[in-house]
Amino acid sequence: MRIFLVLAPVFVFLIVMLAVGFVIRKRSQKDRSVDFSKDYFIGGRSLGGFVLAMTLVATYSSGSSFVGGPGVAWLRGFGWVYLAMTQVLAAFLVMGVMGKKMAIISRKIEAVTVVDVIRTRYESNALANIGAVLIVVFFCGTMVAQFISGAQLFAAAAGINYTLGLFVFALVVVAFTAVGGFKAVAVTDTICALAMLTGLGVLAYAVLDHGGGMSNIMTTIKEQPQMLEPTSGGAISVRLLISFWMLSGVCTLGLPQSLVRNMSYKSSKSLHHAMIYGTVVVGAMMLGMHLIGVLSRGVIHELPAGGTTDSIMPHLVVNYLSPIWAGIAIIAPLAAAISTVSSLLISASSSIIKDVYQHAVERKGERADQKKVARFSIIVTAVIGVACILVALKPPAVIVWINMFAFGGLQTAFFWTFLLGFFWKKANTTGALLSMVGGVFAYCYSMAPGIPASFKVPLYGFHAIVVGIGLGLALFVIGSLIGKPNNEKVLKLFFPETYPDGAKIEAPERI
Amino acid sequence: MKKMSYKEKFVQMNKEAKATWIVAAILIAYWWIAGFGTAGMDYTIFHMPGWFVLSNFGVWILSIVLVWVLTAKVFEDFSLEDDEDETTKE
Repeated sequence: MRIFLVLAPVFVFLIVMLAVGFVIRKRSQKDRSVDFSKDYFIGGRSLGGFVLAMTLVATYSSGSSFVGGPGVAWLRGFGWVYLAMTQVLAAFLVMGVMGKKMAIISRKIEAVTVVDVIRTRYESNALANIGAVLIVVFFCGTMVAQFISGAQLFAAAAGINYTLGLFVFALVVVAFTAVGGFKAVAVTDTICALAMLTGLGVLAYAVLDHGGGMSNIMTTIKEQPQMLEPTSGGAISVRLLISFWMLSGVCTLGLPQSLVRNMSYKSSKSLHHAMIYGTVVVGAMMLGMHLIGVLSRGVIHELPAGGTTDSIMPHLVVNYLSPIWAGIAIIAPLAAAISTVSSLLISASSSIIKDVYQHAVERKGERADQKKVARFSIIVTAVIGVACILVALKPPAVIVWINMFAFGGLQTAFFWTFLLGFFWKKANTTGALLSMVGGVFAYCYSMAPGIPASFKVPLYGFHAIVVGIGLGLALFVIGSLIGKPNNEKVLKLFFPETYPDGAKIEAPERI
Repeated sequence: MKKMSYKEKFVQMNKEAKATWIVAAILIAYWWIAGFGTAGMDYTIFHMPGWFVLSNFGVWILSIVLVWVLTAKVFEDFSLEDDEDETTKE
């Protein structure tokens, strides 16, 4: 009986997700017949402030924000919440700094992917293709990891086997993303964000109730005095905190899955509202979930037998919530995984369809047939999704690596490319190429386990992101100073403020 | 909605980006000062360590307030489309 009660809310949630995909497909038929890619990959640039904020935050928050992070907070204490709050910039920074410039320029050059923008700014197919490959590889690695953690959680909470859990939840994500496109992703992300906040409320209530209130919970926590310190008794170093301000704070500006949302909204006002809503929600989620992790120490005193810190949240849901509430609470991490996967899936698909296929057709001076683009887009989205599900069934070791490299790797590849590309006129193709290739290589090399000690990059307690971003900047500046500046037409489009009044602005020729 | 030329929009957007970075810098500085600056003091708020409440709840509330100020006072509402001719000035 318990299994049905737990599964009931989860199934209702998954059915709603599917329904959204099909309804949006039906409603978008007219727009799609005119310009399929614009509607399918960027939602016709129609998002309002609330949906923009929710899709950005839900995409950013992955399953680890609801399982892994709070689990470590259970072990480390308040210091881990302190570290998690470095994510407070994740919503407003990318929108405030890059939002409007990307919106205006992407309208001017009819861009629907971040790679479209890179291709125009740097006039380089090589750079665009490297960017597209990095997006597909890192996104697929992340999707597989999200499928695995989502399915494990689903299976544990519902008492079903992993394979069944994986197929049920992953196929729903792939289906609504493939048929509904970006608009369905944005709307389902909004529902997911609300589900995450609801789950957070349920878990907070359960922890406070079972722990006997704040006072009792804190008495238990005080038995471990290091849990009360910002460094958690030395386990969290100042260098790690500085690194996290880069990895989860400032450099989130370079995540392509966040950047692409800057091309999808309707008006300046939508962006302004989204910055406020996004900041409220990202703070609530990160502070709320990690704090729940710490406070659950008052309920779960020791690691469950045979478990890791990743087992803490599932253990809390399974053992301390009634079946219906457990079903509602388990939706939160599933929603976090679903909203991340759907956004990555549509972006990965856009990299193949728009950045490779459509670009090749347009290079020949032809316009891609919209019906063909439509068919290909849906098929490619579905194929990538199903391939990731199949890989998640028996994940090879390389997936763990790709997932580990993905977050910082994407930041290293795109942070300077976008920031300097939009704000430094001297930024050019040589600089961007050197930075993207050299930075990502240095980052992955510094992160890679198994490298002999004498060949290891000394990190001195910092995270490898510091190496990737630091070297990426140095290479960018050197390359830009020695390389040729970009075409005047491009520079006028991106830096009109540096030209005299009356200068003619027009979209550069496609390369 | 303010009517602006393409060039004026970029001047404004540079100003907005700079202000956003300033807000980010204030939040980072506040987080360090409120956290490590008060961690040695033995007091609690809602039963939790005082440094924790000040730095974490504090940085969250401060971020909302500052972003609201940013969008209300610095950011301008203008069209994202080309609402005038293709030159930098109307």
